[in-house]
Amino acid sequence: MCRDHGVQSMRWLLGVAFLLAWGAWPVSAAELVVQFTDGHGHAVSDAVVTLTSDQPASVTTPPQPAATRYIDQKHETFIPYVQILRPGDKVIFRNSDTTRHHVYSFSGIKKFEFVLRPGDSSPALVMDKVGIAAVGCNIHDHMSTYLFVSGATAVAMSDQDGNATLDNLVPGHYTMHVWHPQLHPGQAQPTQAVNIANDSDNPHVALALSLIPDPRMEMDDDD
Amino acid sequence: MQSMGFRLRLGLFFVATLVTVQLIMAALVYEVTRHALVAEGERELTANAEAFVAQMDDISRRVADNVQVLSLDYALRSAIAERDRGTVLSVLRNHGRRVGASRMLLIGLDGTVEADTGNAGNVLKRFPFPDLINNAYDRRTAAVVVMDGKASWVVVVPIYAPQPVGLVVVNVPLDDALLAHMQKLSALPRDIELAAQLTPGHWSVMARGDNRSDLTRSVAAVHGGLPWEPMLTRVDGKEYIVLAQHLKQPKNSAPVVAVLGYSLDEALRPFRSVVLAGIVLLGLGLGVGMLGAWLTARSVSRPIETLAASVRRIEAGDYRAPPSMPRRDEIGQLATAFGTMTAAVRQREEHIRHQAMHDSVTGLPNRVAAEATIDLALDTEDMTSGALLMIGLTRVPDIIKTLGHALCDRLMRDANERIRRVASGAYLARVTDAQFMLWLPGAGKPEAVAAALRLLDTLNEPYQETDISIDRLPSIGIAMFPADGSQAGMLLRHAEVAQFAASGSARALSFYEAATDPHRPERLSLMGDLREALDHNQLLLHYQPKLDLVSHRIDGAEALVRWNHPRLGWVPPDAFIGMAEDTGNIHRITRWALASALAQAQQWLEQGLQLHVAVNLSTRDLEDVDLPSRIRALLAIHGLPASCLTVEVTERAVIGERDTAIQILRRLADQGIGIAIDDFGVGQSTFAYLRHLPVSELKIDQMFVKHLAVDRNDQIIVRSIVELSHQLGYRVTAEGVENALALDYLASIGCDHAQGYFISHAIPADGFAAFIVGRDKTHA
Repeated sequence: MCRDHGVQSMRWLLGVAFLLAWGAWPVSAAELVVQFTDGHGHAVSDAVVTLTSDQPASVTTPPQPAATRYIDQKHETFIPYVQILRPGDKVIFRNSDTTRHHVYSFSGIKKFEFVLRPGDSSPALVMDKVGIAAVGCNIHDHMSTYLFVSGATAVAMSDQDGNATLDNLVPGHYTMHVWHPQLHPGQAQPTQAVNIANDSDNPHVALALSLIPDPRMEMDDDD
Repeated sequence: MQSMGFRLRLGLFFVATLVTVQLIMAALVYEVTRHALVAEGERELTANAEAFVAQMDDISRRVADNVQVLSLDYALRSAIAERDRGTVLSVLRNHGRRVGASRMLLIGLDGTVEADTGNAGNVLKRFPFPDLINNAYDRRTAAVVVMDGKASWVVVVPIYAPQPVGLVVVNVPLDDALLAHMQKLSALPRDIELAAQLTPGHWSVMARGDNRSDLTRSVAAVHGGLPWEPMLTRVDGKEYIVLAQHLKQPKNSAPVVAVLGYSLDEALRPFRSVVLAGIVLLGLGLGVGMLGAWLTARSVSRPIETLAASVRRIEAGDYRAPPSMPRRDEIGQLATAFGTMTAAVRQREEHIRHQAMHDSVTGLPNRVAAEATIDLALDTEDMTSGALLMIGLTRVPDIIKTLGHALCDRLMRDANERIRRVASGAYLARVTDAQFMLWLPGAGKPEAVAAALRLLDTLNEPYQETDISIDRLPSIGIAMFPADGSQAGMLLRHAEVAQFAASGSARALSFYEAATDPHRPERLSLMGDLREALDHNQLLLHYQPKLDLVSHRIDGAEALVRWNHPRLGWVPPDAFIGMAEDTGNIHRITRWALASALAQAQQWLEQGLQLHVAVNLSTRDLEDVDLPSRIRALLAIHGLPASCLTVEVTERAVIGERDTAIQILRRLADQGIGIAIDDFGVGQSTFAYLRHLPVSELKIDQMFVKHLAVDRNDQIIVRSIVELSHQLGYRVTAEGVENALALDYLASIGCDHAQGYFISHAIPADGFAAFIVGRDKTHA
């Protein structure tokens, strides 16, 4: 994604103006765009990309207040598929469905299980550990959702078009980690070194992911 | 014998045809069936192989479904997630029993074994088939693997909780029991084996269906590998179609194949009963066919045998009708035709026989029949005498030439009737075109003569037709039995001789006289005897004295050839001179006679007797151009003057005025030899001829001299001849003087010489001198 220098300088001026408007700190406008495709060339959504700075001390992120995310259950589906959380965030499961759901997780960061009747909500769960929790429904095998808890500098999820944008990046060396719920098990998470040269850097990365079929789809018996 | 061969041939032909046809049919059917079965077998095998693979798929699906259920077990999932190995194992074991697995493994996401119900020591080892793991997330994964030397069906199912937390590997052993189970449930062939190539190039049997044969080992041993296309081969001596089918396999596994066999023998079994039935039918058909052929042949060959026997009888001359065959078919027709033919042959033969034995014109028996009949008659004991009359109509050849056969035939028929009227009851035959024969058994000479005269009377009447009247001129010769012959042949011959003699004489009737029979068979051997006589000096010269009528002294001799035959005695010159002339032997006789006579003359000269010698020459001698020189030579040898030799020739010899004869005579005359004409007066000579010939002497035939004493006419003739001859300068000698009166008469008319019995017979040379001396004394 190339932008011509004219526009770029415009943006830079705006960015500077914006930053000045906001006050004290030096705001960066660097952006990393990652585009995900699968083995067949289709856009992959729900891919999570994190950037971890190689020099963690140089980057400071202002503490943010703990957020409470809701994970809904409707039509025997967890919504959303992947939820990005910061450590300390809370998550509440809500049953907006017509049937009961037996929500469980055997994950290392949080083990829980409860049965939610329609209309019920679960107590808030505090996700203080970093990691990925896979959550499923014991009654409905195809239901699953993932809680991506990460304290990384920048975290973004790919959209329907398969694009994930990480903005406000401080120039420096980063390690990018990619994760997707359907990454082939047993294989290591793709990682890549990323360098944000300066404030206006705008690298684009295209990644092809090797994915297993979506278990949320009905398993068909034919091969 | 031959009909046996026919029967046998027919039977064999029938049998051979039947057998051949049946065998060909059987072979055809067998081949077609076999082909069909082989094709069927191949199709079946291919289908079965596919069915087997499909069945395995079914098994995998079933197992996978089962494991799928298992994989959703909450307890298992939590046990796996919490790494509760003990629980995991027990759950696996439990569920393994449920699905019929012999072994269950839990594989971690990294491909290592986390739990193994079969081998605890397997933990943390890598699962040997990572490609199965990789595929398990995408599709239902199942394969046949060889683990620890055993083949098993392996199904891999991922466990989701809800993300993949591991994989369960289910091991269903592929053993005989499973195959048997599969065979029971579906239409798998009986002969099925699972073979694995544990070591390269060697196939080991992992499992076997309920067959007893050793498919894999046999095929691999014979062909080196396994057939991937249906192949016809022999296993344990039986015929199988064998096909190997690959099974779904992971990359690292040793190859496992299903080997299926289709027993051709089994497939052919139902046809065995057909073959058996066919053989029985063939045997039956053979038997019936042979019988039928035998009977048919018999019904054909029997009558043919009978007919063949009839043919042989006919060949032997038996013309009895062949046995009738009351059949309407072709054989019956043949038999009927045969009978007709036999009758016709018999008729014809009778007709031919009759014709052979009878004269067609008159219907009388012919010579052959007559001889046979007469011989038969002569054979009977009481036949003591008989007369055979040969009635000859000598004019017949003439009549035929003049008036034709048709008329002659009528004439002969008329003659036949006349003879019949006169000699009814006697045996009459026509022996030649011109001769009838009449046999009078028991007749003597008088009866024969009486019969002959009657016959002559009736036959002497001319044959009358419209405007023709023909004289038959019959003559009859009679031969008497047993005097003139004891057999019919001889009688006939002699009668014929008599008839020829009769035809020349005035009476037209004569009996056979052996003495005058010029046709005696001894004649035929006479010439050979004569040659021998010449070679062995059996011929003699006798000399008949010639009397000089003036001096009354013997002054010459005629040399006459005499033959003292060892067997026949004295053979008269008439008998052999004529034949010698015909056969050319006369030359030798003449030469010998000349030489002998001249030698004798020389002898007489030495004895003091001066005698002429006269030697007879024949007509043939006058064709010999060397004769004059030969005679000259002889005269020279004996030192005799030519004048002492005279040659005598008959009138006949010179009558033809042949140049050669005349020249020879001239040459002889020129030498000084005398030429005398013998038997003068009886032939056709004329003085006109004699004018040209160098004749010196005429000898009057004894016919004129015999009755000279009494016959006035003879006297006139003889005197005339003497006078005329003298006028012409010839001397005359009279032959056949038999009495003194004749002699006196001859002397009185001036005849020069006389010869005859009155003077002397011809006498041998040694007696000649004595005779002369004696006579001189008497007539001195």
